[in-house]
Amino acid sequence: MSQKPYLRILLFLLLGFIIYLIDITMNYDEESKDIYVSDQELDGLFSAWNSQAGRPPNEQEVISIINDFIEEEILYREALRLGLNQNDRIIKRRLAQKISFLKQETNTEEPKAKQLIAFYEANRNKYFVPTTYSFTHYYFSKSADAKAKALVALKKLDGAGEKIEAEPFFLGKNFSDYSLGEVEQAFGPELLSAFDNPTLNEWFGPFSSSYGEHLLYINNKQEGYLPKFEMIEGLIRQDFAIQEQEQRLADYIDSVKAEYKVIINPNYEL
Amino acid sequence: MFNNWGDMKLNKTLIAIGVFTALSLIALSTYALMQFAEEKYSIVLKDSSLEVVDFSAENKQKPVNDVSPNPLKNPYFGDLHVHTRYSFDAYVFGVTATPYDAYRYAKGEMIKHPLGYEMQLNKPLDFYAVTDHAIYMGMIQEYGDPDSAQAPYEWATPFQNINREENRTLESMGDRLNLFSLMAGDGYLERPYPIWHPKMWQAIFTKNRTLASKAFDYDVHKSAWADIANAAEEHNQPGKFTAFIGYEFTSGTEVEGGNLHRNVIFESSKAPIRPWSREDSLNPMDLWAWMDKLRAKGLDSIAIPHNSNGSNGEMFEVETYYGTPIDLTYSATRMRNEPIVEITQVKGTSDTHPLLSPDDEWADFEIMDGRVGARPPTYSYPQGGYVRDAYLRGLMLEWKGQGNPYKFGLIGSTDTHLGAGSFDESNFWSKVGVVDGSPMSRGSIPLTDKRLVQLEEYSEVYNQPVSAIEVDGNSYAIGFEQWGASGLAAVWAEENTRESIFSALRRKEAFATTGPRVAVRFFAGFNLSSIDINAESLIEEAYEKGVPMGADLFADGEKAPEFLVWAQKDTDSAPLQRVQIIKGSITNSGARPSEQVFDVVCSDGMEVDPTTHRCPDNGARVNIEDCSITNNVGATELKATWKDPEFNPKNKAFYYVRVLENPTCRWSTWDALKAGVKPRSDLHKTIQERAWSSPIWYIPIPEDIDIFAL
Repeated sequence: MSQKPYLRILLFLLLGFIIYLIDITMNYDEESKDIYVSDQELDGLFSAWNSQAGRPPNEQEVISIINDFIEEEILYREALRLGLNQNDRIIKRRLAQKISFLKQETNTEEPKAKQLIAFYEANRNKYFVPTTYSFTHYYFSKSADAKAKALVALKKLDGAGEKIEAEPFFLGKNFSDYSLGEVEQAFGPELLSAFDNPTLNEWFGPFSSSYGEHLLYINNKQEGYLPKFEMIEGLIRQDFAIQEQEQRLADYIDSVKAEYKVIINPNYEL
Repeated sequence: MFNNWGDMKLNKTLIAIGVFTALSLIALSTYALMQFAEEKYSIVLKDSSLEVVDFSAENKQKPVNDVSPNPLKNPYFGDLHVHTRYSFDAYVFGVTATPYDAYRYAKGEMIKHPLGYEMQLNKPLDFYAVTDHAIYMGMIQEYGDPDSAQAPYEWATPFQNINREENRTLESMGDRLNLFSLMAGDGYLERPYPIWHPKMWQAIFTKNRTLASKAFDYDVHKSAWADIANAAEEHNQPGKFTAFIGYEFTSGTEVEGGNLHRNVIFESSKAPIRPWSREDSLNPMDLWAWMDKLRAKGLDSIAIPHNSNGSNGEMFEVETYYGTPIDLTYSATRMRNEPIVEITQVKGTSDTHPLLSPDDEWADFEIMDGRVGARPPTYSYPQGGYVRDAYLRGLMLEWKGQGNPYKFGLIGSTDTHLGAGSFDESNFWSKVGVVDGSPMSRGSIPLTDKRLVQLEEYSEVYNQPVSAIEVDGNSYAIGFEQWGASGLAAVWAEENTRESIFSALRRKEAFATTGPRVAVRFFAGFNLSSIDINAESLIEEAYEKGVPMGADLFADGEKAPEFLVWAQKDTDSAPLQRVQIIKGSITNSGARPSEQVFDVVCSDGMEVDPTTHRCPDNGARVNIEDCSITNNVGATELKATWKDPEFNPKNKAFYYVRVLENPTCRWSTWDALKAGVKPRSDLHKTIQERAWSSPIWYIPIPEDIDIFAL
């Protein structure tokens, strides 16, 4: 054992300093002013040129392509050095978009038939084709005696072939395959009550709409139905793929969210 | 001597043959070289704008709606003027909605405004077309994307700052508007490659100027256009919902900045590989020539001019773009390509102007009196900028033997830049995103002191007049107060398909509204009064005995034409007040124009005064305190036959219908009401929402004289 512990400490310090010096000279990465132009980079640039121009670049063009690339790289690095990438909504968004794409694309294997059927079952509402009605009507425009006129007409309809004195309706007489939503749009919400358990192939009413009174004759009710899986498999496949992508992104966000702590000024006022 | 002379003759012949052979050789080798170039370097000698692509989605399975067509036709409502983020200005205004978002909105789904609030229709629309600006289409995203090839260039950098966090605010109006004018002005793209550059040659050989510009990436442009077309294809559901492929041709006159914008709508799933834009030409005549060429290839399209009100009178000129006289060819070409005009939209209504129609009490309606996109704001002269005036000019031109280039039908549309049209006065978001998305920025409520100072600072920086005005002791922003919640395109078509709606537009069986779904039928004939208007067979008989809106009615001797009008209110809007027929005609001797407004049928069973041709006041009022309207006044539908009391069988004439609702609050009043402040005293507090039919033209028996224009 040496008699001089200070010397030994000094020696270690010196060694440490030398290692530090070597380190900063060898790993001068952060502020590196070297631009390495790789072969792949050049291939990429020239083939892009080729596909645009339809021929390989000549010598002068090669020089200008490389110059452009170098200038771009320099501007990019200078911009980074000045911190221009910070707090830029566009850059943020673009990066967020890039990682979203990345995470969405990670699994591109074909969905199994079982998965598709399960998806179809879970989204029955989405694929359900609503009930539609085909009907004709007599119309009596809004007036004090519209209802009375309609009732008189209804009586006549029960009898044998008497002429009905009804008025023309703006949107016409016959409506084929109207869903309840379409009925509401054409007549206003009031008329919907006529379609609660209607009797088919029989004149009934009168019912009020936004425009007046109506006698209705519904001759066809096409029950709402769920199209068979085979009929809409393509559509399901598309929807499933979209859902899968969204799911993957959501899963990813969930998995990293826990590591973040969100701080919002509690005194902020809108 | 003879010999010499003979030699000389021989020499001359030889030289001639030599020159001829050399020329043929050069021509032949040039041709061979071109062929070689085409094969080897895909440099083609063809017009890139005439390449047609079929965008119909492959093997798309869609539930097909088998609804039988209605021969008596249904009214369908839509919007044929919608911008999304692919439009350069929409991006500058902070809009992020895609064409897909736009179609989802049209079908009734909710989408978001750039300022964060929700936008949703209360009733879905029947048809819709995304019509982004062709110029710069897709390029702005490219400028804004720091990873793109365009990013490092100086022309791209302003876009990388514009949507920065601290800039994406209401206060960024000055910056945004400045950038907008910068781009709207010409020359922003004029950064050509040097002449030796292969792109330059490609540009020449494919007639594609955009290729010659460094600031333009043709591939990006094409793919943006394809995305827009694909969105339309994906959302088009025959029988249920119609989506058209379209774009806006955003051109203007060079000197005065007269707006000559048009929307081009394609008939089917086929469209050119790139939209033909102002980079190709500023001249609408060139646009029509291009559309004619596409038509020759079996691809039909129409162009729909808009904002004639802001054209400084140049939309409906009495001369061509070159200043030469209009001739029969011009008129035929224009009518073949432009059968429809947009009469109303957010940027004002172009029916008529109080200075043009001093006797029309309803002429002062949503007048936007500035040139489109002009900075600083510049007055637009009304003559030649309004539809009624154009119809009269058309009659005059035709009388002079130059043909009638202004025999168009009418629709409305919004021109929204948010993907989402704003049709409702009580829930108005205007159209350009961050710039006019709040009441303060569109001038309906007073500016705070802070905002006023900001506006003044911007004015100084950009050397513009201060865009604020002092009213009632308060300061208000100016620039958007003349805009409004309008309008809708409507057609009478057999079914909701592209074919059916497109042909309705072509035959002008179309009408316009200022937002509500007011519907109107209009027929003319010589025996319509024989129809019982209360019989159920009314429409069937009307089609049999007359012609519908948009058509010509040929004279039947000296008989006066009879008209049938029928209007129905929107279930969710105010009742109807009156139906009017607007007549314009020129005298057979001297083409002297005149116009008249006839009230034809009044609400609440009231009679039209036969001397003034006006309905009595039906007493409908608006309470400005809460925007409520008088109950139980007005009509759900109005219907009548009418005969022109001042008919002259020799005079050329047109007739179109205007349907007026009872008055309701204007959006600016709603904005003020919601903010708890008084509405501005210098703006109309109420409006009368309305609908216009396309006209029917009365064609007199031709005279046996030829009129030569001198």
